[in-house]
Amino acid sequence: MKALVVDDSRVMRQIVIRTLRQAGYDWVEVVQAENGKEGFAAVASEQPDLVLSDWNMPEATGIEMLHDLRASGQDVPFGFVTSEGSEEMREKAAAAGALFLIAKPFTPEAFAEALKPVLG
Amino acid sequence: MTPSTETVPLEPHSVEDEALSQIVDAMWSSYFGHVEPLLPAFEPHDVEGPVLCASVGISGARPGLVSVVVERSGAAALAAALLQEDEVLADDDIHDSLGEIANIVGGNVKALVPDAGALGLPGISTSQPLPSSAARQAARLDANWQGHWLTFVVWLAAPAHAPAHERTHTPTTTRSED
Repeated sequence: MKALVVDDSRVMRQIVIRTLRQAGYDWVEVVQAENGKEGFAAVASEQPDLVLSDWNMPEATGIEMLHDLRASGQDVPFGFVTSEGSEEMREKAAAAGALFLIAKPFTPEAFAEALKPVLG
Repeated sequence: MTPSTETVPLEPHSVEDEALSQIVDAMWSSYFGHVEPLLPAFEPHDVEGPVLCASVGISGARPGLVSVVVERSGAAALAAALLQEDEVLADDDIHDSLGEIANIVGGNVKALVPDAGALGLPGISTSQPLPSSAARQAARLDANWQGHWLTFVVWLAAPAHAPAHERTHTPTTTRSED
């Protein structure tokens, strides 16, 4: 099982990975990308079982990456981890095909609840 | 007119000191729960000496700016706590950490702003950037952590229907030497 963590902040990628472990998923292999453009390429090269992506990033945003993935026929499970957790953002995320949106600040419990349907 | 940093109450359901305090509390609880608590100050306390400031912009009907200012030494300690690292961190990691703090606070503030547009990417500076002249200070939180002072400030443009004297209120901020 492999997860792709996409965030332009190295610090936040480390926190997401740490929280993933704290949520009980220490057996999941993690690969990383720094923006939506790199994330799109990493989905093709790494074939992850799940993408955890920030929303606001340079080069390509998370929602742009998700649109591009779905337009290319890639249906990898996708969830956002973002500081913007408004209803409007959640609706946009769901409409684009995201399974969930975890709002920052988050807890291991929030990760466990969102990831259980995907990672078990 | 003499510019003022006095916090001006905004319309109901907008961003005020209490809302900002709750957002910062939630962030602190999630990411800094393993270290000393953040102690709110009862009065404004400008951060003195060399500082780092991280800011994110909010576009939309009421454009604004959300910033966090901290003593340079405090920024390094904050980054180490956020990353749970004991080693001395590189400047990139310190800037990245402070930027994420601003990003988290900014994203949650944006959710409270009616008709908000996009949240910008965090920017780092050694002085607090001045918002546009149309913006006014909507909320402010001064706090102390392990002897280091931090200031969180939210600037927002007045609602379009606000009285003219509120729309033209021009804030000033404390600037450090670059």
